[in-house]
Amino acid sequence: MYRYDEFDETLVRERAKQFRGQVERRLKGELKEEHFKPLRLQNGVYLQLHAYMLRVAIPYGQLNAKKMRQLAMIADVYDKGYAHFTTRQNVQYNWIKLADMPDVLDVLADVEMHAIQTSGNCIRNVTSDHLAGANLDEIEDPRPWCEIIRQWSTFHPEFSSLPRKFKIAVTAGETDRAAVRVHDIGLHMKKNADGKVGFEFIVGGGLGRTPFVGPTVREWVAKEDLLSYLEANMRVYNRHGRRDNKYKARIKILVSELGLEEYKRQVEEEFAAQNTWEKVVLPQEEIDRITAYFAPPKFETLPAVSAAFEAFKSASREQARWAKNNLRPHRTPGYTSVHIALKQQGEAPGDATSDQMRAMADIGERYGLDDIRVAHEQDVVLAHVRLDDVPAVYAALKAAGLHASNAGLGSDIIACPGLDYCNLSNARSISVANEIQAVFADPEFEDDVGTLHVNVSGCINACGHHHVGHIGILGVDKKGEEFYQVLFGGRADEKATIAAIQGPGLKHEEVAPAIRRVIDTYLSLRRDGGEKFIDTMSRVGQAPFKEALYAAA
Amino acid sequence: MSSERPKLGPDIPKVVTAWLSATGRVVYLTKDRNWSEDLADAEILTGVEANDILAWAAKDQTRVSDPYFMQVTADGKVAGRETIRETIRARGPTNHPMFGKQAGNN
Ligand code: HEM
Ligand code: SF4
Repeated sequence: MYRYDEFDETLVRERAKQFRGQVERRLKGELKEEHFKPLRLQNGVYLQLHAYMLRVAIPYGQLNAKKMRQLAMIADVYDKGYAHFTTRQNVQYNWIKLADMPDVLDVLADVEMHAIQTSGNCIRNVTSDHLAGANLDEIEDPRPWCEIIRQWSTFHPEFSSLPRKFKIAVTAGETDRAAVRVHDIGLHMKKNADGKVGFEFIVGGGLGRTPFVGPTVREWVAKEDLLSYLEANMRVYNRHGRRDNKYKARIKILVSELGLEEYKRQVEEEFAAQNTWEKVVLPQEEIDRITAYFAPPKFETLPAVSAAFEAFKSASREQARWAKNNLRPHRTPGYTSVHIALKQQGEAPGDATSDQMRAMADIGERYGLDDIRVAHEQDVVLAHVRLDDVPAVYAALKAAGLHASNAGLGSDIIACPGLDYCNLSNARSISVANEIQAVFADPEFEDDVGTLHVNVSGCINACGHHHVGHIGILGVDKKGEEFYQVLFGGRADEKATIAAIQGPGLKHEEVAPAIRRVIDTYLSLRRDGGEKFIDTMSRVGQAPFKEALYAAA
Repeated sequence: MSSERPKLGPDIPKVVTAWLSATGRVVYLTKDRNWSEDLADAEILTGVEANDILAWAAKDQTRVSDPYFMQVTADGKVAGRETIRETIRARGPTNHPMFGKQAGNN
C-alpha cells in the first residue's frame, strides 16, 4: 500500500496550517468570498446547496482500517454521521462547517490523508482497478504506477494551472474496471511483441457536456518513458488547451479539434525534443522502492475449495445469492474479493453511515488483511478475504446493513448527489435511482435480468457516468420541472461506448415504470443461455427498447 | 434549478438568500438586516429598491457568501422556476429528511 513519506507529511501539515490562517481571515472578514473561493477549492472545500462540502482524496481508492475509522470519526464529530463514496474513488462530506475545516484537515493528516488536488484545474486523484493485485486477469499490479504518477503530479508547477481539471486512470486487467477510455488520459498496461510490459496511452476521453471515448495515441510506451511521455502530452495540452472557454478546455476537445494524427505528431515531437536533462527517467531502484510498498500480502497456502464456504452457500438461498453476486475470483487459491455494495434498496448510492464505515474497517482489518478499497461503482471492496472467513464476513456485513447482494446488477446504481445536494444540479438523482432500484426489489427478478449498469446524473456534468451506463439517466430542467432523458447502450469497460439519448425527457414518476418496460423487452428478446442486456441491445438494436420506453403504460 | 439564476423583474416578490460564511447554512435576509435560517423571517421585497438591498447584502461578506434573489409568493412561500431547488435548499435533502431543517436539525 502507498506509503506517505516525510516529504508528504510536512507538505500536508503545512498546507493544513496555511488553510487555518485563510479560514480565520475569511471569518474575520479580511478575505472576501471571491478571493477565498480559489483557496478553499484548492483544499477540496466546495459551497453546495445546503452547506460546505469537503472532498477528501483517496489515492486510487486505497484505504485501511485506521483511515476508514478516522473517516467515520469525521462523519460523527464534524458532519451528520454519514459520508458519500464517489465514482472517482474519493469520499465527500456534505455538512462540515467552514470554521471546523482546518481541524478536519488536521485529523486527516493524522492518518496520512488530505484534500489536495481534489478540485481545480490540476491533475486529480489517479484512479485504478479496485481488484488490483487480486484479480485473475491482470498482467501486473497497476497501483505502483498510480503512486508514481501521484508523486510526480502532486504540486508539479507545470500542472498547477492547467486549462481545466485533468483525470488519469490506470488499469492492468484484460477487463477494464477503471473506465480508462473515458478519462483525460487512460493507461492500459499491456505487453508489446517482445513480451515487455508497458502502457497503452488513451488520450482525450471524457464525459460531461461533450462525451468522448478516448482514442489510442500510442499502443505501447515503455515503463521508463511513462512520465516523460505523460509530460509530453501535458505540455501539448498546456500549450493549446482552450483557456478562453471552459466548455472547450478539456483535452478531449483539443484531441478532437486537432485530429488524432496531428495531436500524435505534436506529442511525439515534444517527446523527441525533450532534453535529456528534463526527461523524467525513472530509475529502476525508484520503481522497485515504490513497487515494494505494494508487495502482495503473505497469503496462506490454502486448498482452492473451502468446506466452510461451501456450507455457507448451501445453508440459504440468500447467502448463495450474495456469494454469487458479490464475490470475485482471487488469483490465490482459497481467497476471494468481497464487493460491499453501498446500494441497499432505498439508500443514496455510495452513502455509508459512520457505523457502517466502522464496521467495514473492523471487517477489513480482521478478515481482509487490512486492505479496503473504494470502487468507481461507489462500492467498497475487500480485495483479499479467505474463503474460510466468508461466513463471518457476511454475518458482520449483514449486522451492519451492508449485505446488499446486487453487485453489478440492476439495483447497483451509480448516482451523483443531484439536486438533493449539488448546486449545479437540474434534477434529483438519488430519488430516481431509488425508484429504479425498486424495480429490482425481487431478488429472483434481479438475478434473472443479470448484469445491468444503470447510471444516473443530475445534470450534464455527468458525475454519475450516465453516458457509459447500459441505461443512462440524465436529469434536465424543463421550465422548473424535473425531467429525465434516458440513454441506451453505454459501457465503461474495454469496449467503451457513449450511450445514445433516446428522445424527450420523462417525468420523475414516469422513469421507473419506463425502465421496467425496457427490461421486459430485453427479457422477451434475449437469447437463451443468459445473453446480457447490453449484448441483446447491441444485437437487435435500440429501436424496440426505445419503443418500450415511450409506450404509455 | 440550474446554476444560472433566472432574472426576476421588479414586480415579482422576492427575498435575498445566501449561505452563512462560517457554517455554510442557508439563510434569508430579514427586515432588520440580519440573516435568519427560517424563510418565514425573511423580508419580502418588490420594486427596484430591492436591488439596493441585494447590493447591500453583497457587501455583507463577512457574514454571508453569494447572496441572490429567490422568488417567493406574496406571502413568502418559495415560488417560480426554482421552486424545487429552493424548497430542497430551505428544507434539506429529500432522501435524508432527518438531516434537514424540517427535522429542526440543521
Ligand atoms: C460538489 C459536487 C460536484 C461538483 C460541483 C461537480 C462538478 C463537476 C463538473 C463541473 C464536471 C464537468 C467537468 C467537465 O465537463 O469539464 C464534473 C464531472 C465529473 N464529476 Fe463531478 N461534481 C461534483 C460531485 C461529483 C461526485 C459526487 C462525483 C462522483 C460520484 C463526481 C464525479 C465526476 C465525474 C466522474 C465526472 C465526469 C468525468 C469528467 O470529468 O469528464 N463529481 N463534475
Ligand atoms: S452531475 Fe451535475 S448534479 Fe450531479 S453531482 Fe455532477 S454537477 Fe452535480
